[in-house]
Amino acid sequence: MKDYAEPLARLIEELKQLPGIGQKSAQRIAFHLERAPREDVERLARSLLDAKDKIRLCSLCNNFTDTDPCRFCADSSRDHQLVCVVETPYNVVTVEKTREFHGVYHVLHGALAPLQGIGPEQLKLQNLMERVKRGEVRELIIATSPTVEGEATAVYLSKLFKPLGLRVTRIAMGLPVGSEIEFADEVTMSKALEGRREM
Amino acid sequence: MPVVETEAVVLRTHRLGETDKIASLLTRSLGRCRVAASGAQRTRSRFGSALEPLSYIRAWVFERENRDLQRLNSAEVIESFFSIQRDYRIQVATQYLAEVTESFLPEREVNERAFRLLLAVLRALKSSGEVTRPLLYFNYWMLRLGGFLPHLNQCGRCGTSLGEAGAFYGQGSDGLYCAECRRPATPVEISRQARAMGETLRGSRLEDWLRRQEAPAGAKQLRLFLEEVIQTHLERKLVTRALLAEEI
Ligand SMILES: [Zn+2]
Ligand SMILES: [Zn+2]
Repeated sequence: MKDYAEPLARLIEELKQLPGIGQKSAQRIAFHLERAPREDVERLARSLLDAKDKIRLCSLCNNFTDTDPCRFCADSSRDHQLVCVVETPYNVVTVEKTREFHGVYHVLHGALAPLQGIGPEQLKLQNLMERVKRGEVRELIIATSPTVEGEATAVYLSKLFKPLGLRVTRIAMGLPVGSEIEFADEVTMSKALEGRREM
Repeated sequence: MPVVETEAVVLRTHRLGETDKIASLLTRSLGRCRVAASGAQRTRSRFGSALEPLSYIRAWVFERENRDLQRLNSAEVIESFFSIQRDYRIQVATQYLAEVTESFLPEREVNERAFRLLLAVLRALKSSGEVTRPLLYFNYWMLRLGGFLPHLNQCGRCGTSLGEAGAFYGQGSDGLYCAECRRPATPVEISRQARAMGETLRGSRLEDWLRRQEAPAGAKQLRLFLEEVIQTHLERKLVTRALLAEEI
């Protein structure tokens, strides 16, 4: 990294730590920032720190928020007995985009992934368990990804919560909308069959 | 530039940028290698479920000489191990297999026996639902194929036959010690019955062994010892090992 002046080299190194950013993208962003007006860079730096300082986890659902409880948990027009469990805060956004879900959320901040050292202990479950034990939850909709990790997590959660007397459901898995059946592999097809419904 | 068709087992994947994935594969004809799969993060990816952990697939790899990252053109599932991993116990076990395979086998070295071993152990997990013996068998043969299997009936230090007497090991051991040679750092005793299982492991096929009898006492002891030896040779901590210890 001797090719660049020290402060620039350091910036590139920092940018490379971000997800999805390699050497080339880091250089491009760094050069862009160098050419940009100072106030633009200041605004970016301020918003980075602002987000870092003001955003925390909702004490009820673990979503990223600047108020506690978050706007979903604080919204009395939503059904608080219906909880959609997701892996990450941006999955909340994905579900919200449908405009068809009117319950509240719980964010796990991960899925069971032994290779990354993530077992049941590492999932953020304690506050969900408290909500359930207070009798505040009627149904859990498990909306983890249709991957090995997401499925293992879903099964683990259902074993944990079903004995407590609430309904536990899993979002349907199967063929993506707009795809052709002939290209589906055995796992996708068997999940689609498993998740079939009455018409 | 040639496209190579090969069977493979997916060891793990991670995201690359916004749409791609990198997959670490144990292939039959190229050995262990890493491939980039473009678009694999998309919901409608052409790879479907083929790149889920431990899938047994047919892969078409665009081989780039002298590059450590190859390109995966396409892949199809031969046999899926998706459903068995819904059980967290099995998920931990399979990911342990993946981690050891990935760290134990050198890149780009064809190893037919290791490939068949991994597949046999995955199938045993699937058909039996038992975890201890499949993992024991895997540990034993991984060490044996690598030339690291310690004597189970001889002290690793003085060479005395262990016989009826106790045998001991500890963190960082690569063999067993007799009562004379044991040190405070080797506190774990392993039974004679556990050591005697070496015969069975060497002489039987895993599926026959699983069918023939219940898991014998001592299987777990021996599994844990061989796990320690594997870790000693890798010279680093296995991430999945702590989680495995909590479950099995
Ligand atoms: Zn909330
Ligand atoms: Zn000795």
